[in-house]
Amino acid sequence: MCRGGVNNVREKAQVSRRQFLNYTLTGVGGFMAAGMLAPMVRFAIDPVLQASGTEDMHAVVEVSEITTEPQRFDWTIKQVDAWYTSDVIHSAWIYKNEKDEIIALSPICKHLGCAVSWASNEEYPNEFYCPCHGGRYYKNGLNVPNTPPNAALDLFQKEVKDGTLYLGAQCQTL
Amino acid sequence: MLQKMYDWIDERVDITPLWRDIADHEVPEHVNPAHHFSAFVYCFGGLTFFVTVIQILSGMFLTMYYVPDIENAWRSVYYLQTQVAHGQIVRGMHHWGASVVIVMLFLHTLRVFFQGAYKKPRELNWMVGVLIFFVMLALGLTGYLLPWDNKAYFATVVTLQIAEGIPVIGEMAKTLLNGDPNIVGAQTLARFFAIHVFFLPAALFVLMAVHFIMIRKQGISGPL
Amino acid sequence: MKRGKGMTFVGDSRIPANKQKFIPKDYSEYPGRTEAFWPNFLLKEWLVGAVFLVGFLCLTVAHPAPLEKMADPTDTAYLPLPDWYFLFLYQLLKYKFASGAFFVMGAIIIPGLAFGALLLAPFLDRGKERRPHKRPITTGLMLLAFIAVFWLTYEAAGHVDWKAKAENNKPVLPEENAVEIDESDPGYAIYEANSCIQCHGGDLNGGAAAPSLIGIDKSVDEIKDIAVNGIDTMPAGQFEGTDEELQQLAEFIVSVNEQATEE
Repeated sequence: MCRGGVNNVREKAQVSRRQFLNYTLTGVGGFMAAGMLAPMVRFAIDPVLQASGTEDMHAVVEVSEITTEPQRFDWTIKQVDAWYTSDVIHSAWIYKNEKDEIIALSPICKHLGCAVSWASNEEYPNEFYCPCHGGRYYKNGLNVPNTPPNAALDLFQKEVKDGTLYLGAQCQTL
Repeated sequence: MLQKMYDWIDERVDITPLWRDIADHEVPEHVNPAHHFSAFVYCFGGLTFFVTVIQILSGMFLTMYYVPDIENAWRSVYYLQTQVAHGQIVRGMHHWGASVVIVMLFLHTLRVFFQGAYKKPRELNWMVGVLIFFVMLALGLTGYLLPWDNKAYFATVVTLQIAEGIPVIGEMAKTLLNGDPNIVGAQTLARFFAIHVFFLPAALFVLMAVHFIMIRKQGISGPL
Repeated sequence: MKRGKGMTFVGDSRIPANKQKFIPKDYSEYPGRTEAFWPNFLLKEWLVGAVFLVGFLCLTVAHPAPLEKMADPTDTAYLPLPDWYFLFLYQLLKYKFASGAFFVMGAIIIPGLAFGALLLAPFLDRGKERRPHKRPITTGLMLLAFIAVFWLTYEAAGHVDWKAKAENNKPVLPEENAVEIDESDPGYAIYEANSCIQCHGGDLNGGAAAPSLIGIDKSVDEIKDIAVNGIDTMPAGQFEGTDEELQQLAEFIVSVNEQATEE
């Protein structure tokens, strides 16, 4: 242990000079390590701590234009990827259901990502139809069983303000 | 002349024991393929190290042309592979070396495993070895994204989805790797580059040094 | 070598004053025909290394490192595949017990257990015996794991059409694809009306589940045939217009391609 320290019972509890220096060395070393690393670690984990969450809502269409028949509406969003900004076009199939609620469905087929469209196939006038592999969805977005897709169409988060429909991120539901 | 220079340095820093310790140690018969051909299985560890050296060197040279940026990464790889003299070979060495090093590590691990060479007193060295394997796989994973082609991009999207699936910390882990909660893009590429080129190699060097020092300390395991 | 107290140094340095020659270890301590690492054994290792290097260099010359098209996040039809040594994991995640609600099982628990077991192997297999056949459980588990990984990799690779994948993803400098599309062309209206546009995109560059229509080497008649009868994953019966419209559509696509090759 502490070579050169007085080693009798009475003084055992005391900290010897050597121990004290060891503790101090560890402490100062720890301070230097923390001082160096703290800014770096904060720097590295910045994306995690940035307030993210809700994607911005974008004005898409006047509510008065929405009918009970699904219509396709496009809007452009500015995607900011750190130091790059780009325009990305999003689109949605929007209609009002029997309860007068607005439904905004993503047009992206859950099978291979083709674009579905409403009543585009004469055989299925009341369904969303994907021309690539014949995937079909009911009006509420649920996939028709035994067609290629294995999940329902995504829904958009929505908000109505001053008679305009705003859409946000798409989320898996149903 | 060279001898004199060596003596001059040796007198001051005593370098002889450093290399004599490595050079003069005895290699037992049972690992020597010249005596038993089956001893070639002992080569896998050395070949892993050799390929690792190739990886480090080729990687260092690749960064002379490579730019980790979504607009230019692919173009720089395309350029260095098609326009630069021997670019195909240097990138080929790094690309195929990544696969070969995994194969060699795999064979080396199997050799040690089936020979029971991880038993006392070599438990620690086995664990360090498994960690090296893990770091190598991580190097492969992060390096895969860097050319920023379709293969790289979509494989990384899937990888990040898997990371997101970890309970509790998944979302954080994904953002930390991704640099952005949603977009796999500029920040992701920069991060993967930093991890691939600095963080993981640093870990690898430490682990390899420990691995080799322990081999020298403990010697090679005896014949079965 | 004498260390510690009583050692005399040159000046204040750590170099001992009375230097002892390094004495190599006595070879007789080791059983069997041993040899020195340097230069005898290392020479043999380097011979193996040299042969290996030649083979490796041949590989790099014979097979250029693959590079696909520049990443295009909108290309949703792309089948993502990891590097071959992660294929087994990729395959594992396809199974029911390891995907969907059991995703954590497949992605975290199974690989975690396997890796943990490998890391802690010395503490799980504590017997003195080293020979594989004297510790059947350890050997058996490893063989099982090896076969499982091998089989999963084989399964995953078997489902992929590697040739078509490589063919569809040849590296193209992005500029070469930048072709002005004449949207007033009557062929474009037909292209739009017949749902071609939904998969092949407004700029004919492909995208969702369909390849680019630029850079194809096809005649008017071949395009007409594909539009009506489909090809690969494209189903038949996509074209619903008249024969005249079909002709216009095909000519339009060919004209875009001619324009692309001129540049």
